[in-house]
Amino acid sequence: MTFSWKPLVAALALPTLCLTAAAQESVKIGVIQPLTGSVAYNGQAFVAGAKLAVEQRNAAGGVGGRKIELVIEDGQCRPANSVNAAEKLIQRDKVVAVAGAFCSSATAAVMPVAEKYKVPLLTGVSSKADLTDKGMQYFFRSAETDRLMSSTFSKILAEKLQLKSVAYIGVNDDWGRGGVEDFSKDMAAHGVKTVMKEYFDHGATDFYTLLTKLRAAKPDGVFVAAETQDGSILVKQFKEFGLNTKIFGVGSWATSDFIGLTGEASEGIYAAVPYASSMPGERNGAFVKAYAAANKEKPGKYGAAGYNALNILMEAVGRAGKAEPEAIRDALRKTDYQAPNGRYRFSEKGEGYGFDVVLVQIVGKEPKVVAEAPTEKP
Amino acid sequence: MDLLLQYLANGLVTGSFYALSALGLTLILGLMRVVNFAHGELYMLGGVMGWWATTRLGLDFFTGLLLVAVVMGAFGWLVDRFLIERIRDQGEEAGILLTIGLSIFLANTALLAVGTAPLKVEAPIAASPAFFGPIVLTKLRLFAVAVCALLIVASWLTIHKTRLGRAMRATFQDPMAARLVGIRTANVYAATFAMGTVIASMAGMLLGSIYSAQVSVGGLVSMKAFVVVILGGMGSFAGAIAGGLLLGVAEALWGGYVATGWVDIIGFALVILTLVFRPYGLFSRSAERA
Repeated sequence: MTFSWKPLVAALALPTLCLTAAAQESVKIGVIQPLTGSVAYNGQAFVAGAKLAVEQRNAAGGVGGRKIELVIEDGQCRPANSVNAAEKLIQRDKVVAVAGAFCSSATAAVMPVAEKYKVPLLTGVSSKADLTDKGMQYFFRSAETDRLMSSTFSKILAEKLQLKSVAYIGVNDDWGRGGVEDFSKDMAAHGVKTVMKEYFDHGATDFYTLLTKLRAAKPDGVFVAAETQDGSILVKQFKEFGLNTKIFGVGSWATSDFIGLTGEASEGIYAAVPYASSMPGERNGAFVKAYAAANKEKPGKYGAAGYNALNILMEAVGRAGKAEPEAIRDALRKTDYQAPNGRYRFSEKGEGYGFDVVLVQIVGKEPKVVAEAPTEKP
Repeated sequence: MDLLLQYLANGLVTGSFYALSALGLTLILGLMRVVNFAHGELYMLGGVMGWWATTRLGLDFFTGLLLVAVVMGAFGWLVDRFLIERIRDQGEEAGILLTIGLSIFLANTALLAVGTAPLKVEAPIAASPAFFGPIVLTKLRLFAVAVCALLIVASWLTIHKTRLGRAMRATFQDPMAARLVGIRTANVYAATFAMGTVIASMAGMLLGSIYSAQVSVGGLVSMKAFVVVILGGMGSFAGAIAGGLLLGVAEALWGGYVATGWVDIIGFALVILTLVFRPYGLFSRSAERA
């Protein structure tokens, strides 16, 4: 009896070969978000959204038959750490595109790195207006800028809430200061008087001094630019302090965590947000369901931002037809993405527009949509 | 005038919180000469455990506080016996490196275990406003200030009026002599570190019920605590209290009359001034120990 080993060897080797081939073929996309530090919570939400987008895409066959692989780095919202993360992702992991970073200052630091290596960089979060004014060829933004939010919302706020005088409070960084400046200017154009402008540091826990000033200023409404952690403590102390002024905020204010942390005190506050899980539409319904199933909570602004950013990048990889950064950059320019919250396109400068933004009011621990408006091409 | 009163009230409340936050640090530094960079993380662990005890185990606040004190006391004891023991008498650098390492380890372990979300510690009483003429405070804050005072007095009594306290002071004045008269110094060191840990973690849980407990809070707490310790002089009870209140009031007035955006500047400015003019702290008689 003759026995040939060959078929056996071939049979054994075949799956191994297939596996290595598939692994080689996966397309790597880098993500830089703060996973530790004071905005870590929001960075994690972005990552959760990003992972969901990639899982859905891979389950549907990936991009052009190739799987997408996420490489996630912690940028800590700091420029230096984010630059290191970008160097590592591009040099060592050979990613074809990067989604990040979170804080505007960190993104601004990563932009020249992406430009140097000619790798597309898409931020789904950083909202400082001038990022897209720097003439970068590889930078895109799928987030609302403060300017865009401010001009869309000021009118709604002035008319809907009937405000005569407003106090402005913001976190002491580029974003907070920018938000306060833009809103106070646009609100003033609608005849609303500014009675106070104050800032507080990231991670501040006690706002009684600020609230004392606020009480003395006696405004009709308070505008607050803050993220979940700072914002929830501020609103809680606001109610403790016995103040009943209308509050409207920008930042991640319509999320279930914000409401859970703030408790009763969240009742009735308004939030100007680019995304709310209660936005109408089938697409959003499906997204909210999938996100909630994977993360045990409804998506907020940053969960949606991560989901949208990765979908935009993956669609661009698909349109480019090859995993080459330059081709992907060209494909990104032609983006026309149907998101849970509207239709994303990019201007020549890489500025995203076309998606909807909403004014919500928290009623019975749920964000109720009060007004919805699409952002116009800047 | 009303404004000034409110600012002062705010400052005194936050000041007493600062004093309590710094007490554990000043004790360990003053008595053991260990610069504990993991102080903020011990505070953070107290808050996180408080959250776990009140929301997951369903305990009431005081039972939770007791549980935190017992568990963290045991933890502090073990940290001293297994870690700090090894670097005793090797100068301050070894202790600094060890506690920095410990702080990184604790922060990241907690991050892995409970994640980054702010955690809510159930408060013992409601945070409804309480009015005193023109001043607004909450019952919860007044309660917290009372607990701060109680904890500070209890630690002072422990160190100055008990056998253990006498053994502590004896050991840190002269370990050799303490051993000669029969004091088990290893236990005294461990007890001191455990006591500092208990105070830090109880502060973490108490203040967690007012603000919220967060895994990433350690660095900020350590920073403020160091400011208070430098202001008050290490190991000094009166110094910690006065330093805390001074920092609180200075921040409140600066925030009230200048700008709330730059309050952290006050702490640093006070530290620099203290180091230049009174390097042993405002309340320390040169090289006095607790």
